[in-house]
Amino acid sequence: MARKVPLPTAIPKKKKFQQRDDTKNVKPPTLEEMKELRDTQNLFHSNLFKLQVKEMLEELQLKQKYTDFIENWMESFTVFTRQLKDGLMEWTHLEIPMRLSQKPTGFVFSKPNRDPYLIGAAATGTLLGPKIVVDVALEMPKEFLHKEDYLNLRYDQKRALYLTYVTERLKESPAYAQDQFYFNYYANNPLKPVLELIPVNKQVNKHLQVRVFITAPLSSFKSGRFVPWNNNIRPSYYGDEWDEEEPLPSTQHYNANVLFDLTLCENQAHLDKAFKGRRNFQDGLLLLKVWLRQRQLDIGYSGFGAHILAAFIVYLNTQRILHQSSSSYQVARTVWNQLANTDWTKGISLALVPIQTEELTKFARHYDVCFIDFTGQHNLCANIPLYLYQRVREEAKLAVELLNDMKLNSFPLIFMQKCPLYSRVDNILKISNYSCINQMLTLHSQPRFKYDFAKYGYPQLLHLITELLKKGLAERVHSIVPLETATPAWPVENKAPVIGNYIQLGLILQPEHAYEVLNKGPASNDDPEGAEEFRRFWGEKSNLRRFQDGSITEAVVWGTAKDSPAKKRLIVRQIVLHLLEHHLQLDSKEVQYIAGELDQVYQLSPWFKVDKLKTQLSLDQDTDAEALSPHVIRCYDEFARQLHGLNDLPLEIVSISGVSPIFRYCEPQPVLPQARLVENRILASTIQRVVIQLGQSGKWPTELTALRALKTAFLIEIGEKLEAQCRLHWMMSADGLLVLKQGYCFVIELAHNKELALLKQEVTDTGITTYKDNATSRSLERQHYILPKVSGALHSLHQTYSAFGSTVLLAKRWLATQLLDDGLWPDMATELLVAHLFQQRYAPQSIAAPQTGFIRFLQLIAHSDFNGELFLLNFNNSWQDQQIADLEHNYRSNRQSFPPLTVATSYDIQHAGRLWTSDQSPSQRVLGHVTRLARHGLDIVETSLMSKDLRFVRPAQLFRASNEGYDLVIQFKPDLVPNTLSYDLGSPFVSFSQPNFHLPRAGSDYIARIVGQLRSAYSDFAAFFYNPHGGKELAIVWRPPTDFAAKPFKVTELNACRPCGNRRVQVSKETLLEEFKLLLKDFYLRIATPEELKREQREHQQPKRYFNTNQTEKSRPERKVRRDRKKEALPKRRIRRSALKALIELEK
Amino acid sequence: MVELEGYVVVPLRTSPQAQHCPSVYMREHFIRLMDPNKPKGRTLFLINVPPYVTEDSLRMVFGRAGSIEAVEFAAKPGKEETIKWYKGTGEPFSTTKPPFIFKVAYIVFEKSSSIGKALAMQSIDLFNSSGECIIKTGMELWHEEYESNYILDARKTKLQISKYMAGYDKRERAAAEAAKTGEADADGWVTVGKEGRNAGFEQKASVIGRLEEKVAKGNKTKELKNFYTFQIRESKMQNIVEMRKKFEEDKHKIKLLKQSRRFKPF
Repeated sequence: MARKVPLPTAIPKKKKFQQRDDTKNVKPPTLEEMKELRDTQNLFHSNLFKLQVKEMLEELQLKQKYTDFIENWMESFTVFTRQLKDGLMEWTHLEIPMRLSQKPTGFVFSKPNRDPYLIGAAATGTLLGPKIVVDVALEMPKEFLHKEDYLNLRYDQKRALYLTYVTERLKESPAYAQDQFYFNYYANNPLKPVLELIPVNKQVNKHLQVRVFITAPLSSFKSGRFVPWNNNIRPSYYGDEWDEEEPLPSTQHYNANVLFDLTLCENQAHLDKAFKGRRNFQDGLLLLKVWLRQRQLDIGYSGFGAHILAAFIVYLNTQRILHQSSSSYQVARTVWNQLANTDWTKGISLALVPIQTEELTKFARHYDVCFIDFTGQHNLCANIPLYLYQRVREEAKLAVELLNDMKLNSFPLIFMQKCPLYSRVDNILKISNYSCINQMLTLHSQPRFKYDFAKYGYPQLLHLITELLKKGLAERVHSIVPLETATPAWPVENKAPVIGNYIQLGLILQPEHAYEVLNKGPASNDDPEGAEEFRRFWGEKSNLRRFQDGSITEAVVWGTAKDSPAKKRLIVRQIVLHLLEHHLQLDSKEVQYIAGELDQVYQLSPWFKVDKLKTQLSLDQDTDAEALSPHVIRCYDEFARQLHGLNDLPLEIVSISGVSPIFRYCEPQPVLPQARLVENRILASTIQRVVIQLGQSGKWPTELTALRALKTAFLIEIGEKLEAQCRLHWMMSADGLLVLKQGYCFVIELAHNKELALLKQEVTDTGITTYKDNATSRSLERQHYILPKVSGALHSLHQTYSAFGSTVLLAKRWLATQLLDDGLWPDMATELLVAHLFQQRYAPQSIAAPQTGFIRFLQLIAHSDFNGELFLLNFNNSWQDQQIADLEHNYRSNRQSFPPLTVATSYDIQHAGRLWTSDQSPSQRVLGHVTRLARHGLDIVETSLMSKDLRFVRPAQLFRASNEGYDLVIQFKPDLVPNTLSYDLGSPFVSFSQPNFHLPRAGSDYIARIVGQLRSAYSDFAAFFYNPHGGKELAIVWRPPTDFAAKPFKVTELNACRPCGNRRVQVSKETLLEEFKLLLKDFYLRIATPEELKREQREHQQPKRYFNTNQTEKSRPERKVRRDRKKEALPKRRIRRSALKALIELEK
Repeated sequence: MVELEGYVVVPLRTSPQAQHCPSVYMREHFIRLMDPNKPKGRTLFLINVPPYVTEDSLRMVFGRAGSIEAVEFAAKPGKEETIKWYKGTGEPFSTTKPPFIFKVAYIVFEKSSSIGKALAMQSIDLFNSSGECIIKTGMELWHEEYESNYILDARKTKLQISKYMAGYDKRERAAAEAAKTGEADADGWVTVGKEGRNAGFEQKASVIGRLEEKVAKGNKTKELKNFYTFQIRESKMQNIVEMRKKFEEDKHKIKLLKQSRRFKPF
């Protein structure tokens, strides 16, 4: 498709002659070109998708040097194996990577009779970077294995010995002496040790490793020896007694484990045949592998390996569902489609000799998932638990749905986006205590599982706990997926590590049922046995209860219906911990259940005592912002009713809509009914904005000021009527009508179409009136017309996904504690990004836990390409395909005219992308800063989640900014700035001080206004950071030193400059500081560098109290900023500072 | 006293002890095309006036040099910058304020002799005889701002509204009257209203657009598009061109994406 067509630069419409001339330049299309253009439409999703796939495949293409290296290496390895001689292993200085039942000495080695061969990805030509793993199989000769080696792990021990022997010879051989030798378990399976060899070759050693598998020919054992229903590990092997009468328990998983080796050769041969020379199949498989790996579904013992997908492609080909000549896109798409729509639990088979259905069913009964290989003996999916298989199917289904959505560029969602499994589960259960694990295995795991898994702990635990939780949680949980990490390799001289004594499970909840407070059992008089069973299962938690409908049944109660949502979200945790304790005697201290740890940050501050508040509402001390919003909304609803019911208004109120975040459950600071009237002024910490519209009338003036005057008059009239008819206090303000109701303060704004039109109105030179958007009209339209609609849409989004609101709360709290206020990062952008997260289908299941939502928010920020991506919110699907395509086109071709972070909703099509964010907020550098913060936060979360021993992050680790990177900190007087009502994790700069919760006057956010002033005046010289949730410090970062260098005199560039001799001028920091002080008069306590504050904090570990601020004020003059000391401290600063600086420079 | 490129540089002090003071650059205002509001010989031009300085405070300071006719600000020197600065401000019921940034100032004295006196000043002292700063900042400013500008007294506001509306009604009536009479004014222009016998159509972009559309539509219906062979051939060709164009566009997109390294999945 490299054909370049000379395109007519523009298609003229004016003159016919010219058009003729131009069209002559169009080359007649060749048949090929026509075909290719059409093929793209049919075979691929779209041009764009095809090209993206092509680019990615090119990127993944293995470099020639690697293919050459593999070829050479295989040659030399073949030579090496040919030289091997039969012999007796007397002594080895390597550790055998398996526990043996007898001493390794006296082991007789017989040389392989077959050359080693490539298996897996290297053989099918689908090796995938960045760590290229070349799998090589070496076959033990048939004679080496004896007839009775099938029994009691003898085969596996011999295999391990064989591996050790070969390794030792390899190590001795001069050709390999320099290489690094490691052992590892294949797929976390202790019965499958493999040799990992990192060749010393300079060109490849960074990215390439060879894995040597030891296999055996299929004919080594009698066929039928390893059918799933046979027993090959006797109970007596573990010293257990077994009743002679009973049939021996089947060891299907162990059998499959051996068959994996035995069938490897034959399976590989068939795969080779199917893939050899078929680039389309290979590419298709590569695509699928990328998809699988991004989802982390292929890790560990229970992982869904890529070899299964390879076999499935062949299966589909033999079933004639996939044609030989399908494109790679079609291969991937068909595989997803078939994965989603077939059920492997009943079993599917690749066997060359067709298997009868009954036999297949019999076979499949022994496993969760069954996919029989070419030989008809081995189950490729033997170790895959049902939940994981379902997960793969759901992901496949999602992939197909994304592909079908023509409005979407689905490529990055499918292939590029990392979606680690931990971010797709709502709660995580971690058990890592060694003694607990042992106790569970010995006391609670059934013996037959012990034999089946050859005493490997992990699958036994997985089975035990999954079954228990499945039964206990029933419909509360959608699925329970194992979260595994790959075992790290160990040097061959070291002892093999014991694995499997640790388990981590992820729970995906079913939000409709997960938070029910009641588990109802069977009625005791109808079904006494069932009731008994229920009682036994739940233990003493179960009680006989009588319900309102008259039934008397056994039931377990986990909470009350009135509990706060945050509390209800922990019900599953309660259940899991109870079940583990009741059934497995696991104390709740021994396990880690990760759910709702971060919810604390929007709780009410413990320093604020609720019982001192005079209110009719019943409030708990441990309430939170989420639980408090419904009270406000209820009050607002009543207020809206009162407004509608007002008599004798000249015009009727036709619509009332709340636009403050609290009306869509997005207010991160708790709002308590505290507002009150003192000395004829309303005091309130927050005011809730309400926009009303009046009925039509033709009598409104056509002059802006007159219109505004009438609006004000109208609002005063409403206030008077409210006072007379509903006895509410009111006050007129520049923002609108302030009304006090039940301890909440509302401000009513009046929206009028004409005001908007008058703001837009312009008269051109020719006397024609046009209406053009400008900054003022846009902000008015946003506030009065678009925000109410978006607010409604977000409110309904919260009704659908109950985790939406609290996810926003977490995200907003996080940004605030990183010292980013509305001026640097708009609050609406946060809300819309989270909404995007919930609306766009990134995962098969919607998020049920806010904590997971928050992690995904961090991921979104950390990994999005803000330069290339446009965040579209298609509320109610009201946006047409064409409109989206146009907008995207416009966005791509004219990127500069859009803000760095572009968010658009379907309610603001005409302003698309420019309404919610601007070039200044978030600016390019703030966006970069937030991206880096998110990456850092995500790192902390990920390490703590995936580590065996670490506990989950404490909120203080994430929700407190670093104190590094700032040049100066201006401390406010603590008694002038009220504390936040949210749970405060402390300031990064100063130690804890006595909180104050005094109420400011309604609508007077002085600090925000002053910071606004500082930003508008001094942004060219410094950046200002503060925590909008009650932050008592203002952190300052100067612009890079180049901005403060001396420059020649220029009339237009004199701001804040003073002459510095030699006819040059210079910006002076000292003068700027004096000006900051002047503007912050009465508010600022002192100015210091973060280092000084840190030192002080260390000196006074005791909490500092500011009861007598006058005294501290007196000592102030000595505390001047010392420039010299600051300069000394400069080199010590760490990365963050330089990063911030680098960014500022970058932007320049 | 420092002089730089013809400007006198003086410190702007907010208290008698102030050490690090902003420097204000002043000179007599003189440009080729003089603004009639800033008359030659009587206007003082100031650069680098800090954001918090108000007209009143400058009036107070420079009042010492002679009586002042006007003090005006602008974001930068230039024609119509002053108008831009004050646009939308000072109207009742509007919250628009001039921006809070570094600015330039024009001080128009009544007498030209005052200029010399002003330029001879050693410093601009923004404090009164007892050393208190005459610029309100901090709590004092915000409190006053809140009390006088944010909170509106209902009774007073109502009075103000009725007064304003009375004035507005009067203006409107006068305009309507003028439209009805339809008499030419001194320059020979006739005001055409919306009403009356010889009312014109509204000169709005949307109305004009609609009319033009109507004409275009009329033309279109007369045209035959798919009639002649050459038209069919051309439309086919157009189709191919479009397809190619789309392909090229997509290729371009990919190139852009490639630059941002978006194809490495791991």
